Amino acid sequence: MKKIMHVLVFAIGSIVFSLSQASIDIQTWQTAKGVKVLFVEAPQLPMVDIEVSFDAGSARDASQPGLANLTSALLSAGTKQKDEQQISIGFNNLGAQFGGQASRDSASFNLRSLTRENLLSPALDLFAEVLAQPTFPKAIFERDQARLIQALKQREEQPNQVASLAFWQALYADHPYAHPTAGNIESVQAIKPRDLKAFYQRYYVAKNAQVSIVGAIDRKQAEQIAEHLTRSLKTGEPAPALLTPKPLQTAQTEVVDFSSAQTHYMLGQLGVERGHPDYYALFLGNHLLGGSGFGSLLVEEVREKRGLVYSVYSYFAPMRVAGPWLIGLSTQNSQALEADQVVKQTLQDFMTDFSDEKLTDIKSNLIGGWPLRLDSNSKILGYISMIGFYDLPLDYLDAFPRHIEALTKQDVLDAWQRHIQADKMLTLMVGQPE
Amino acid sequence: MKSKLMRSVSPIISGIVLLTGLSLSVMAQAELFETTLENGLQVVVKQDTRAPIVVHQIWYKVGANYEPNGLTGVSHMLEHMMFKGTDSVEPGQFSKRVSQMGGRENAFTSANYTAYFQVVGTQHLEEVMTLESDRMANLSLTNKQFQPERNVVKQERLWSVEDRPSSKLFEQFKATAYLSSPERNPVIGWMKDIENYELQDLKDWYRQWYAPNNATLVVVGDVDPQTVVKLAQKTYGVYPPRTINPPKSQFELEQQGQRRFELKDATPVPNIIMGYHAPSLVTAQDLQEVYALAVLASVLDGDDSARLTQSLVRDQKIASSIGAFYRSTGRLGAQFLFSAQPQAEVDIETLEAAILAEIERLQNEPIQPAELARVLAQAEAQYVYQQDSIQSQANSIGSMVSVGLPADTMQHWVENLRSVTPEQIQAVAKKVLHADNLTVGILRPSGETNRKPTPKPEFSGRMH
Repeated sequence: MKKIMHVLVFAIGSIVFSLSQASIDIQTWQTAKGVKVLFVEAPQLPMVDIEVSFDAGSARDASQPGLANLTSALLSAGTKQKDEQQISIGFNNLGAQFGGQASRDSASFNLRSLTRENLLSPALDLFAEVLAQPTFPKAIFERDQARLIQALKQREEQPNQVASLAFWQALYADHPYAHPTAGNIESVQAIKPRDLKAFYQRYYVAKNAQVSIVGAIDRKQAEQIAEHLTRSLKTGEPAPALLTPKPLQTAQTEVVDFSSAQTHYMLGQLGVERGHPDYYALFLGNHLLGGSGFGSLLVEEVREKRGLVYSVYSYFAPMRVAGPWLIGLSTQNSQALEADQVVKQTLQDFMTDFSDEKLTDIKSNLIGGWPLRLDSNSKILGYISMIGFYDLPLDYLDAFPRHIEALTKQDVLDAWQRHIQADKMLTLMVGQPE
Repeated sequence: MKSKLMRSVSPIISGIVLLTGLSLSVMAQAELFETTLENGLQVVVKQDTRAPIVVHQIWYKVGANYEPNGLTGVSHMLEHMMFKGTDSVEPGQFSKRVSQMGGRENAFTSANYTAYFQVVGTQHLEEVMTLESDRMANLSLTNKQFQPERNVVKQERLWSVEDRPSSKLFEQFKATAYLSSPERNPVIGWMKDIENYELQDLKDWYRQWYAPNNATLVVVGDVDPQTVVKLAQKTYGVYPPRTINPPKSQFELEQQGQRRFELKDATPVPNIIMGYHAPSLVTAQDLQEVYALAVLASVLDGDDSARLTQSLVRDQKIASSIGAFYRSTGRLGAQFLFSAQPQAEVDIETLEAAILAEIERLQNEPIQPAELARVLAQAEAQYVYQQDSIQSQANSIGSMVSVGLPADTMQHWVENLRSVTPEQIQAVAKKVLHADNLTVGILRPSGETNRKPTPKPEFSGRMH
């Protein structure tokens, strides 16, 4: 033990050293069409990752839940020159990987390719064609619509999925974040190919787009790539601002009676939007409460001390407007009410006070672990895409550990008191809790 | 959490097997450094200087396919107990130290191995090696720690199997396809076995398998191999080797005719698994058959333009989703697997017949040169893409060495795939994908629903 304590002192001493290490040089500019570009040069591996994203997530579905998701899923289903199979073979023959996905806030499309000119150049041509000339063919639309409905039926029998749906619905009520990105059976059934075309015309436009690039290319090549991918997009208009969601006014408990072996449990409320000045303090506190695995208070109380769960966690999901904060777990039905009590007690105790040692430890974890968040091209791409999409400062990654270092315990407790209201929370249980 | 990766590790590993390979002309391949300490610990180091971090892993040659009846899942249970302290380190203290370092840690158990890892700043390597080597030899196993942790594992099983019909189907598939081989064991163990473990079982299992001469140390990251060796001598090197009695040679009865079973559960969509006994890199008489099967799996399901998606999902509109899997690194052999769900209004028998028709096509016609070229282009590119993660590099090394394969197996992989001819693929399709060698499992909707019909009145209107 003595030896270990000795090393501990060394570890804390090294924080200052770590702070100067994680420096990511993000370059940014605009294309001729006015699209924001973010670029990090990573010369070590002969590959490049490119993400083109649009403010075109399911928050833009309006009265048609599932529309953004289907639009992104069918973007590569056909262009004016190529059918679905020619497009996928086109990427695959080059060893390239292409994919798209929608979330509540965005729709994004990724290409990963080797940088060899004879591979990268045709992959980029194909990417540009898919972005600018999709045709949303009716037959493929109907096939994938049927497949999606099948998956949505299956979702209704999965307790974790049922819990997640009910949680967002109850928390966001009539806000566009309320419905799941994939939509629901009735709404997906009602969508037509022409709806996809209209959605594409409105939101897949230069003024609503962003390009992020990480890889073994230089600035000049990156500029050419960004121009190539955005040149043929219509100029269009940015998506309008989203409404601010309203917090719950009273505590709410919902139980969905479901015959599963375990009760799936979620406790939460609205959190904050990306860029909120309190985010650092909330994030640090959450990391201690339930965001850092075995070191966290919830794992200690619910799993290690009592053996009630395999997994318990908490997180903030900051989004364009306030995303949720939540605690989640699953436990056999006969332990669910005990788990609920332990979770709520742990939260209350944490918001009252925690030891200086815990603050030191959790800071050490976040600051010392910062380089691990930036140790691959794909992670860096994820971060710069987020920085661009939410208009965060370019030095966000370098500044984050400095913000963490500067926080006091009182900062953390104050921020939690301001934002987290134990008497206005949503408790959701799917199962047969006892 | 701990062993969060347990269920997914095998597919991940098989993905690596299918998709990575030979050193390419486009990049310099970092050399693997290999040595064995005097106490028998194998050491493999790969330098990757892109970030000032390192992944440190220890792999034990023990997993679910080493386990006797009545003790299924004991390797995984022991994996959980490895976080419960040693003679000199308090329960949870190791994890706490890794957390203070800002590191990530976890462990995973598969049929073939049990592995522990930390990802930390390079300056912390010595300390995690000290702590990891300590729990190799000095684990403290007490009832006080064991009883609640057994409940954690029960919760893990409820979460990962009991409430997931498709997981149950796969578990029962293995137990049907394998009659006599312990390859049939579920990695997490049968619930009754979990309930029946005694502390002594864990002590025995620990003493039987946890020793330097039954382990492999894998380090990948910003570190010089000689430094790692010196640290390994100082930490792991102080523990003496122990006698390891390898498991009795275990065999599977030769299959003489198709096997089928059904599972009924509250699911709206049926599911089918079809699997054929196949050789692995460990068990094959002729390795060329393994390479041919790997190419075959990619021809069927290597990407979204491969045959199964193109034919059954896109053209015929029979499958809603479909995949083919071949894990070529099993100690006791392999299964060549198909898993699929029908599209709405298509019955499961039609889907099964369509899969069998694809298999017949492979047996009757050589694959096209363009298909082969695409598989190789993908394999080459994947090999580079995999270098983006130090952890997947380390996983690839550890999973090979743990079943007795060379650490650099993957570095020759694309080269080996390149040697496969269309004729060899056709021949192996006839030999392995043979009707009498097939096990079929079908998940059918029971007609029940998990959701109770009427929500309680006070909640009506809120539920979706």
